[in-house]
Amino acid sequence: MTWIDFPLYSTNILILWCIGLLLLLLSYKKVALFKIANIVFITGWGILLVFVIKLWIELDRPPMRTLGETRLWYATFLPLVGYITFIRWRYKWFLGYSIAMACLFLIINYLHPETYSKTLMPALQSPWFIPHVLVYLFSYAVLAASSIVAIKGLIDYYKNRFDSETLKLADNLVYIGFSFLTLGLLFGALWAKEAWGHYWTWDPKEVWAFLTWMGYLIYIHYRYFYLHKSKQALSILAFAFIVLLICWFGVNYLPVSNTSVHTYTQ
Amino acid sequence: MSEPNTLIQRNLWETPWGYLESFFIGLGIIITGFFLEVFTGQTSSLTLTYPYNIYFLIIYIVLLYVAYKWFSSYQIIRWLTKVPASITSIVLVTTLVMVMGIIPQTTSDNAVINTLGLNRMTTNWAFLLTLFLFLSCLGLITIKRILQFRWSNTGFILNHLGLFMALLSGILGAGDVQRITIDTYEGKPNWIAKDIQNNPVELPFAFYLKDFLIEEYNPKLALVDNTSGSLVHNDGKNLYLITPKQQYNFNEFEVVIDEYLPSSGRVLNKYVSVNEVGSPPSAKLTIKDLVKDTIITGWVSSGSFRSPYESLKISDDYSIVMTIPEAKKFSSDIDILTKEGKRISTVLEVNKPFLFNGWKIYQLSYDDRMGKWSNLSVLELVKDPWLPAIYVGIFMMITGALYLFWVGNKITKK
Repeated sequence: MTWIDFPLYSTNILILWCIGLLLLLLSYKKVALFKIANIVFITGWGILLVFVIKLWIELDRPPMRTLGETRLWYATFLPLVGYITFIRWRYKWFLGYSIAMACLFLIINYLHPETYSKTLMPALQSPWFIPHVLVYLFSYAVLAASSIVAIKGLIDYYKNRFDSETLKLADNLVYIGFSFLTLGLLFGALWAKEAWGHYWTWDPKEVWAFLTWMGYLIYIHYRYFYLHKSKQALSILAFAFIVLLICWFGVNYLPVSNTSVHTYTQ
Repeated sequence: MSEPNTLIQRNLWETPWGYLESFFIGLGIIITGFFLEVFTGQTSSLTLTYPYNIYFLIIYIVLLYVAYKWFSSYQIIRWLTKVPASITSIVLVTTLVMVMGIIPQTTSDNAVINTLGLNRMTTNWAFLLTLFLFLSCLGLITIKRILQFRWSNTGFILNHLGLFMALLSGILGAGDVQRITIDTYEGKPNWIAKDIQNNPVELPFAFYLKDFLIEEYNPKLALVDNTSGSLVHNDGKNLYLITPKQQYNFNEFEVVIDEYLPSSGRVLNKYVSVNEVGSPPSAKLTIKDLVKDTIITGWVSSGSFRSPYESLKISDDYSIVMTIPEAKKFSSDIDILTKEGKRISTVLEVNKPFLFNGWKIYQLSYDDRMGKWSNLSVLELVKDPWLPAIYVGIFMMITGALYLFWVGNKITKK
């Protein structure tokens, strides 16, 4: 049972990533350290990947069913998002942020181990399962990143040192995240049609997935038409992320939750 | 497209209409919707069926086209094709869907929720009118971009037209969706299905269930609190899938599974392998109490519709139980018999429906009280004639999403 091994793996990864983060911070003064930081980050990520693969094999099903399992994917994707962003835009702080967030998700999983259940109900045994969930988690990771950009932007705004480049980064992340969000939503619809005969049933999770989609839709339209209203755009982006969080796990705490088929708490 | 000087004084309803007017129009639509809901709602829901939905579709699209082509000088049409109306209508739809996402969409005790129909949002007049406004904005803008076609508009058109088609076909097609279920028993042909209201529907073909099969996971072991009777959550580490010879730890207890029998019967003080209808799984356990240094051995069984379950008390506080096995896979080996005497064989499984005569046939459920011994299989038949249009819309949006991803790339390169 590889979840039992999780503390061992995650401790190693966390140690490596914390060293990496420290080196990253120091590299602002001494550039050469950045290379070492990268090696340390990537080693940690490799270990995490090994864990995910071993868990997948051990469970004999994709580890995407429980909330803990989705957090694991989140921790896997965030460094990836950080690196893709870094390769394109050279934001060191953003790389650091994404690794720090990944650490946070590992810690949450460390504190709340999930059940060892291997079972997967028949409706989830579909070729759509993996694309639907992976695409969604990747988009969540990217959109979470965009929201951090938004918060940084808002802070900068109040300190009167706002740079419109920040919003361009947010735009790029939102476009990428939103296209994946759309794919996840539509894959889910096609899957549901195959499994239950209806692509959209207004299940609470579906309602909130739709709201998340609408939230980012508002941001994209607002940005498209009002390029210079930075503060409002940043606020919309921060708000959209709250909706995303409700969709991801907040739904479980809402009065509507008991009518949902999308509960992955056990 | 920004407005550099927003401080120009303008009176309300003076052209061009902006956000304030949009807000009032939106508010008016919602109030109208709730009025309609209060006075006509509750019983009636707006569902169009063939051929009226086709008429509606044609008239609606022609009206949108005519409105854009010849009446775009009218303030209302101009407003509909401009940003404030788009953003307002997106926000309005979002707000009403948010109500749907917070208030459970079931019968409510709250008089306000009931009267305003906040618990039946999908058929609520306010929601339908708002959606109508949203679709009209979307439709007009799409027509505008198609008429002023440029290659750089491809992504825009794919996304907007795709959404317009998928939404409109979904809404208009809802009335034409037919969903019926049919109970099939092993060895008995059946051609009488039931609709949602349980009325019998005679089919032009019959179903003959040759065999219903269930594959199950092994059951799980769980700890129960003797006083409360509820499952004990050991940091989420309870509920172990039974694997023979496996050991697991719970607090001071070390549990080893000595023997597992998937199908068994109680004989005197133990279980033996038997293979009869209703013979439940059982397992022999050895539990070591590491604190008191005692050992308990005994049997647990999940029971079945025929045999009682058996738990094992391991201390004053705890007992071990075996949960009912979960289905891994269930499938029906069926023949479809037509009036012309044809016999079509297929195996239905969850996630693997079968298309026949315009019906999609799904494996829906079985007699879960009987579990794997069920000789009943419930099938669902769905006919959704508008589906191709919805799928075209969905695939346009998928292409549009990929385009968006690509454009997202391009912005970075600037």
